[in-house]
Amino acid sequence: MMGNIEEQDLKDRLSLIETMIAEGRRTTESWGWTFVLWGVAYYVAIAWSAFGRPSIAWPVTMTVGGALTSVLASRVRGKHPWTTVGRAMMAIWVGMGISLFILMLSLGMTGRLDLHIGAAIVAAMLGTANATSSIILKWKMQFACAVVWWTAMVAALFTSENVTAIIFLVAIFLCQIVFGIYGMISESRRHKADAASQGVFHA
Amino acid sequence: MPELPDLNPVIHGKLRLALLSLLSSVEEAEFTWLRAKTGSTDGNLGAQLLKLEEAGYLAVEKRFVQRKPQTLYRMTEAGRQALTDYVQALKQLLGAAIDA
Repeated sequence: MMGNIEEQDLKDRLSLIETMIAEGRRTTESWGWTFVLWGVAYYVAIAWSAFGRPSIAWPVTMTVGGALTSVLASRVRGKHPWTTVGRAMMAIWVGMGISLFILMLSLGMTGRLDLHIGAAIVAAMLGTANATSSIILKWKMQFACAVVWWTAMVAALFTSENVTAIIFLVAIFLCQIVFGIYGMISESRRHKADAASQGVFHA
Repeated sequence: MPELPDLNPVIHGKLRLALLSLLSSVEEAEFTWLRAKTGSTDGNLGAQLLKLEEAGYLAVEKRFVQRKPQTLYRMTEAGRQALTDYVQALKQLLGAAIDA
């Protein structure tokens, strides 16, 4: 059997293994929309708390955002399988989301929520989550978002409330809306390229 | 001169090799996803998956999601080892072919 196997066939098989492994790893990275969704949710919560009822604005918006993300994620993912990287990404963001939700709710209920400290905590956690994701995914653009959040964190502690609010609105726009749309465009391009390069294998 | 290794015939088929490689990079995958990734027909894909399952390289789970049947395939430890051994054997053979 060995004598009949040609060098090119061996190379083709190694290449097939590499291609298929890469193909499997590429499947669970359609998350750009979640950044846009949460960016909009932050804006809704900020507007609601500024012009309506601040005590319920954030808990309600975050709960609705979480429920929406969970429902849409199950539909978007559809039949795509989980990869270790995909699960790691989910773990980072779900963990951060739950921590932030419980902390902010507790701070709000006890009346210990200070705008500067609260904003700095939110920015620090978003910076951490973005940095961790970017390092795992080797995505420089997302690391830039982490830098923006860390800048917002420092600014929240050194500037007035009005300036802090403006910096936050800008950070949300850049790191959620713009980055999310950029992510969606990149994912769409990659999916098209993947579809075009798909092969047919026979036994 | 060291003896050249035999290539595992269960993995050697191109579709079976593609399936094992795909499944090595995910936790589990559905039949329809595997079909889309390999471009294979239902019949051929089912037959090759069965061969891998019979060899103990894949574990199969059937369940219902929103009343629709779903068949999930997961690579077993034996499957992972077999793929690793196959890659090693390929590299050895390739080395021998280049040396020759």
